[in-house]
Amino acid sequence: MTDESTPSHLSQLPPEMLDFTILKRTTTLAPRLGRLSLSSRKTILTPGFLGNTSRGIVPHVSQDNFPKTGINGVYIALEDFVEKHPQKTPPIFQIEASDPLRRFIALPHDSLIVLGARRQPPIPSAATNTNSEIGILTSVGFRTISSEYYAAAARKLQPDIVVGLADIPFGQETIGSRRKDKMSDRTETWTRDIIAKRNTIEKGTPRYNVFAPILPIEKELQSWYLEHLLDDMVDKISGVAIYDSHLLDQLPEELQPLPRLSFDNPTSPQALLRQVGLGMDLFTVPFVTEATDAGIALEFTFPAPQKTNGAERRSLGIDMWQNEHSESVIPLTEGCKCYACTKHHRAYIQHLLGAKEMLGWVLIQLHNHEILSAFFAGIRNSIETNNFEQDVAAFEVFYEPKLPEKTGSGPRVRGYQFQAQEHGKSTKKNPKAYKPLSAPLNVFHGHQPNSKPEVKEVIDDEALVGLVGIENIGRTEQLERLRIEDDHS
Amino acid sequence: MAPIAMPSALSYELLAKCSITKARAATLHLPHGPVPLPIFMPVATQASLKGLTPEQLEDVGCRLCLNNTYHLGLKPGQATLDAVGGAHKFQSWPHNILTVSFQMVSLLKLAKVTEEGVRFLSPHDGTPMLLTPEHSISLQNSIGSDIIMQLDDVIATTSPDLARMTEAMERSVRWLDRCIKAHKYPEKQNLFCIIQGGLDLDLRRACTAEMVARDTPGIAIGGLSGGEAKDAYCKVVDTCTALLPEKKPRYVMGVGYPEDLVVSIALGADMFDCVWPTRTARFGNAITAQGVLNLRNAAYSEDFSAIEAGCQCVCCRSQDEGGLGITRAYIYHVTAKETAGAHLLTMHNVHYQLNLMKLAREAIIGDRYPAFLREFFAELYDEKSKYPDWAVNALKGVGVDLLID
Ligand SMILES: [Zn+2]
Ligand SMILES: [Zn+2]
Repeated sequence: MTDESTPSHLSQLPPEMLDFTILKRTTTLAPRLGRLSLSSRKTILTPGFLGNTSRGIVPHVSQDNFPKTGINGVYIALEDFVEKHPQKTPPIFQIEASDPLRRFIALPHDSLIVLGARRQPPIPSAATNTNSEIGILTSVGFRTISSEYYAAAARKLQPDIVVGLADIPFGQETIGSRRKDKMSDRTETWTRDIIAKRNTIEKGTPRYNVFAPILPIEKELQSWYLEHLLDDMVDKISGVAIYDSHLLDQLPEELQPLPRLSFDNPTSPQALLRQVGLGMDLFTVPFVTEATDAGIALEFTFPAPQKTNGAERRSLGIDMWQNEHSESVIPLTEGCKCYACTKHHRAYIQHLLGAKEMLGWVLIQLHNHEILSAFFAGIRNSIETNNFEQDVAAFEVFYEPKLPEKTGSGPRVRGYQFQAQEHGKSTKKNPKAYKPLSAPLNVFHGHQPNSKPEVKEVIDDEALVGLVGIENIGRTEQLERLRIEDDHS
Repeated sequence: MAPIAMPSALSYELLAKCSITKARAATLHLPHGPVPLPIFMPVATQASLKGLTPEQLEDVGCRLCLNNTYHLGLKPGQATLDAVGGAHKFQSWPHNILTVSFQMVSLLKLAKVTEEGVRFLSPHDGTPMLLTPEHSISLQNSIGSDIIMQLDDVIATTSPDLARMTEAMERSVRWLDRCIKAHKYPEKQNLFCIIQGGLDLDLRRACTAEMVARDTPGIAIGGLSGGEAKDAYCKVVDTCTALLPEKKPRYVMGVGYPEDLVVSIALGADMFDCVWPTRTARFGNAITAQGVLNLRNAAYSEDFSAIEAGCQCVCCRSQDEGGLGITRAYIYHVTAKETAGAHLLTMHNVHYQLNLMKLAREAIIGDRYPAFLREFFAELYDEKSKYPDWAVNALKGVGVDLLID
């Protein structure tokens, strides 16, 4: 994803100023090519993606392995760092050094950081938004943070890009028009807040760039906000974050030159292609880690290979839990340049999943990111050569429309990964599970849906003591047992 | 019986002996390259070490790790191992592997030991299984490990049943003979015997004599690390090493706490393994020269210093020094929440163990091991009165009085 050639005018911009150059565009609602650059950070060619982090890392990828992913920029959610708020100042704000967030998570100097309030995808928060606050979900439960707090956090943490707060009642099926008015009003206020805060940063100190949210409601219902965005803020924002890709259709002309980050999370490569086709530039792609956790090695390329007549649609991924791989000494994908494919074979990866060894997820995650990088490179090339539409059509014919169903059990579900509704389900299903009084979410150890009972029943060293597959056990009990194990081994 | 002369696929190159204690420094040349002794071997039970890639394990300096025969026999199974061409290829590990045998089996409540082998119900599906010495060796031949272990009859050292203990010891000797006979590749895999006999020193002496007579390339002292008193443990190690030939590696199985390592080295042992340093990493426990820190303690949430000051592992080295500059606060932030938190701390802990062995080896070569022991304990405990009696007594026995400067 790196473009070696730095745009010539970049050196004339203040060092923290983001440059987005559209390299190719035809009409609105058409795919476009771009280049997002910031001095001292790796250039991101668009359409492209950001590493979607959890607690500062791409899941399963330790910092020393991060360069193996080929990721040039990451998305980070503030809610992953503020569980002590409001009782205490979260540790991240106590670091007395420049670039504290990057330092804390040990991210390479040249990786771009995009900060948002919520993880992608966000889990609906039980704490409702107010005029000045949004509900978030930390690893210890629901909290709220104010717009002022968010802006102060952005100032302190020095990300390259901050996505402004959006008032969106996640998880609410229908939203009344009065509520939508409120969404628009609050989002405008909060966008003004984050811009105003940026302007208080002294000269010489890095200033973040602001991406303004575009709400997932009809254009008319956010017209005041959009109008004011154009009137007062357009020269102070560097991009937009779009929660509903259909609104690309109605994006005001003045916002067209700005880079577009999708918060309309695609659930499949096809969905991703549809958004690219509408002119989306940048994605977080949560389905990559979801596939990894499910033990699914992605296997798709863009453009798709030549289809042989009468052949069935190809799967978008390989379920590495299946026994058929147990003696297979071929890589996950023949010819793939990722670390997993160049060093290991399917038999080992299948074994690791079955043995619940964490390395299984590490290897699949590295592979899945390589597949995604190659997919985006293919997309850009296809746009460049004016074949995008035909290539998308061929892709849709060649591959299954959805990722394969998960069959094996994944790594232990971290509390903050639960969907709110799954939450209730899983505690009912596991009646023995402790329900801690203060209900810190991360003590629930549920299994993800669809896991085969036979996979769950496997007893082994890892399952007994590991990070994985511990069911129906409260954290305290779990820890006590572990200490015994430790003392005797 | 008349011992059969056994080919060896290793050479033990003695470099130095401590002039006071029984500590030895050596280089052990194995089929997949030389390894320094004394050595700590991380335990990759199921052909993987707690989420680390083989490359990461290599980067922390490991050149010899453990796999478990029993686990690999079940998963991926002998057929797969044969198809893939052994455990090195299976896990893409270019360095040495030692396979421990079936210790876990003996811990199963339903295991029943007969002269034929160990009968037990598979913990996976409840089917009855029989493990014989021949089967154990056959599996290890398929695994292709550089060091393979005999099947032994292990019972808890704390067992008061002397008759059973004697039976187990004698059976282990008979099983060694069956293992030697079954071993197909003595020229490329080194079979180690395992001395049994519980805490009874006479039994241990008798067993040692029998085992030494069989002339295996290396010798292990087994059946320890089962919760026995440390004094008794030290007596067994001291007694056995006194009877062992100088030119063979001595492996004390299942030992890994830093104090146990430095004392056991003084008692003449060379090789150690333990799951503790890596297992404990996942619960946020960092091994340091000052002791184990549980980084899940809220006190560390705002501690922005390295896991261990001065540690040269990739996590602790600062970014300026080419490391990651991982802080205690960050480990607190990710432990038990993201698997990568465990990976980071596992790298640190393995590095700590390997580095401790490196420093011990340098001290032995420089003939200053007693001083090394003093420094080690002075660092670990803030006052001498806190030194554990068993360590003080054991070291006194080999000429080092920790309580006198
Ligand atoms: Zn690959
Ligand atoms: Zn370290």
